[in-house]
Amino acid sequence: MNNEILKIKVKELKIKICSCEIKSEDVIKVCFGYIKKVEPKVKAFLKLNDDQSLKQAEKVDNKLKSGTKCGLLEGIPIGIKDNIMIKGETMTSASKYLENYVSPYDATVIEKLKDAGVIFVGRTNMDEFAMGGSTETSAYQKTANPWNIERIPGGSSGGSAAAVASGMVPFALGSDTGGSVRQPAGFCGIVGYKPSYGLISRYGTCALASSFDQIGTFAKNVTDAALLTSVIAGKDYRDPICEPNECIDYVNDIDNPNSLKTLKIGVPKQIFDYKVDSEISKYFNDAVNKIKLALGEVVEVDIPAYKYVPALYNVIMCAEVSANIATFDGIRYGYRSTNGINLNDEYTKSRAESLGYEVKKRILFGTHVLEAKNYHRCYHQAQKVRTLLINQIIDAYKKCDFIFSPATLQMPVKFGEMLPQECDIFLIAANLAGLPGITVPCSFTSIGMPMGVHFMGTRFSDVKLFKVARLFEKISEFDINKYPTFDLT
Amino acid sequence: MLKEELEVTAFFARIDIKEDEKEKYLADINKMFNYVEVLQEPDVMGLKPTTHVTELRNVWREDIVKPSPRDVIDQMLNSAPSKEGTFYKIKKVVV
Repeated sequence: MNNEILKIKVKELKIKICSCEIKSEDVIKVCFGYIKKVEPKVKAFLKLNDDQSLKQAEKVDNKLKSGTKCGLLEGIPIGIKDNIMIKGETMTSASKYLENYVSPYDATVIEKLKDAGVIFVGRTNMDEFAMGGSTETSAYQKTANPWNIERIPGGSSGGSAAAVASGMVPFALGSDTGGSVRQPAGFCGIVGYKPSYGLISRYGTCALASSFDQIGTFAKNVTDAALLTSVIAGKDYRDPICEPNECIDYVNDIDNPNSLKTLKIGVPKQIFDYKVDSEISKYFNDAVNKIKLALGEVVEVDIPAYKYVPALYNVIMCAEVSANIATFDGIRYGYRSTNGINLNDEYTKSRAESLGYEVKKRILFGTHVLEAKNYHRCYHQAQKVRTLLINQIIDAYKKCDFIFSPATLQMPVKFGEMLPQECDIFLIAANLAGLPGITVPCSFTSIGMPMGVHFMGTRFSDVKLFKVARLFEKISEFDINKYPTFDLT
Repeated sequence: MLKEELEVTAFFARIDIKEDEKEKYLADINKMFNYVEVLQEPDVMGLKPTTHVTELRNVWREDIVKPSPRDVIDQMLNSAPSKEGTFYKIKKVVV
C-alpha cells in the first residue's frame, strides 16, 4: 500500500476500514512511513505517537473483526494542535512554560473524537500560546509551508495546516482566535473552518482571548472538514458559552444546494482600500465572476468599520490575554524559576524566564490598556467600536447571505519577514462578531503557491456555510488532489 | 508609555524585565499604542460595549457532590513544580 491511501476522502477511507477492505493498521503504517520522509522538511509536528497509534489501530481492526459497530471516524489518523488536551499526553502550547505539562483530562472535542474512533498521530506546532500568524513564535521549531519550504505556513495553527497540506494526515484540529485556522489554511491551500462562536466546546483547550476563541477544523476538502465538525460540535455544560444546540450533521445534505436557491454573495467594497497582492486580486475577481455565472447574485456591501478591525482586535485580544495568561504563575504546574527569593519574585521570574517575547509584549500591552487611567479610552472604547462593527455587519447581511473576500490580502512571506497588520482583516472580523467563516482554496499563483478565498456567514448559519463552500469548491479550478512534492533524496 | 509606566505595568503583570530589555518593549508597545489610536476616530455615542457576542447566562447543574477521581488529583499534583503530600509547596508568605 502506498501513501495514495492518505489522499482519498475521509468518508471513503472510513468505509474501506469499516468494511475491513483495508486495515487501519496499514493506514497508520503508511501514514508514519510518509511522515518520516516528509516531516524533516516540513516540521509540522512537535510530537509523534508512532507506537501508541499502531496499537490503537490494531485495536480498531480487532474490534471491527469482532463485528463491533464502527465509529464515525474509525481508524482515521488526525493531527491535534498542541493547545488541546489529551489525557496523559504532554501539551506544551509551543511554550517553554508548559514543556513538561501532562494533561490530566481530555478536552471535550478529544472525548468526542475518541468515541468516534480516530487515531491521534501527533501534536502539531503552533505559535506560542497561539500568539502569532506565522508559527515562528513557537519555542521549539519553525514549520515550513509545504508548497515552498522557505516560506511561513501562516499561524497560529501552522503545524496543523502544513500537516494536512503535505498529505501527512487527512485532517487536523486547530484553534482560531483571530484567523488562526483560516489564515494558515489559505496559505497552505487547504480548507480551514471556524465555527460560529459557541458551536464547539473549548473545554480543555488553552485559552488565548476567550471572547474570540473557537476550535476549528482543517481538511483537504470541504466535505471532510464538515464531517470532522459534525463529530466535535454540540453543547457542553463545561463551556459556558457553548450554545445548547443539538448535534447537527454538516455532511449529510452538503451536496444538496436547494436551500441556497436565491444565493446572494456580498463583496465588501473595503477590499479596494488596501494594498492587495496583484495575483490575489486577479484570482479573487475571477472567483467573483465564476460565482456570478454559476452560483448567484453578487452585491457590494459597505462596512466602513473594517478599517478598525486590526486595532480593535489588538486592544481586546491583548487585554484578554493578560487576564488568561495570569494563570501561568509557576505554582500549580509549568515552569518555576529557581532564582526567586520570595513568592512574588518567583512569579515574576518564572514568567520572565519561560515566556517568549511576543507573549510578554502582549501581556504588557493588555495589562496597560486595562489600567484605570487607560481603561475607558482604550479598552472600553474598543468594545464600543466592536459594537459598531457588528452593527454594520448585521446591516450588510440585509443585502446578502454570505460575505466573500480573499482569505488574506498578501501571499505567505519568507521566514523573518513581516506581514502587514491588515493582511487578514476579513478573517478577524468573523472572530470579533462571533460569525462562522471558511477558507477554501481558489487558485495557484505564478510562484506555485496556493491562494484562498473566505466565506463568512451569519451566526449559526454553519450548515449553509459548508454548502456554499462546497459549491465554490466544485466551480473552482483548484485541484484538491494536487499535493506539494518534496525532494526526498 | 514612559519607562516608569512600563515598570509599573510589568509589576502588575508579574513579569520581571531586565534593564537592557526595556527599550525594546517600550518601542514596540508604543508602536502598538500609536496603531490603535485610530479607535478614537469613530462616533460611538450611544453604543453599548460588546463584551461577548453571546448572552452569558448561568449554566446550572444539580448540586451533587461527586468524588474527584484519585488519578486526576495525582496527575494534577504530579504537574506541580514543588509539592508536599497533597499540597502545593511555595515560598514562605508570612514571615
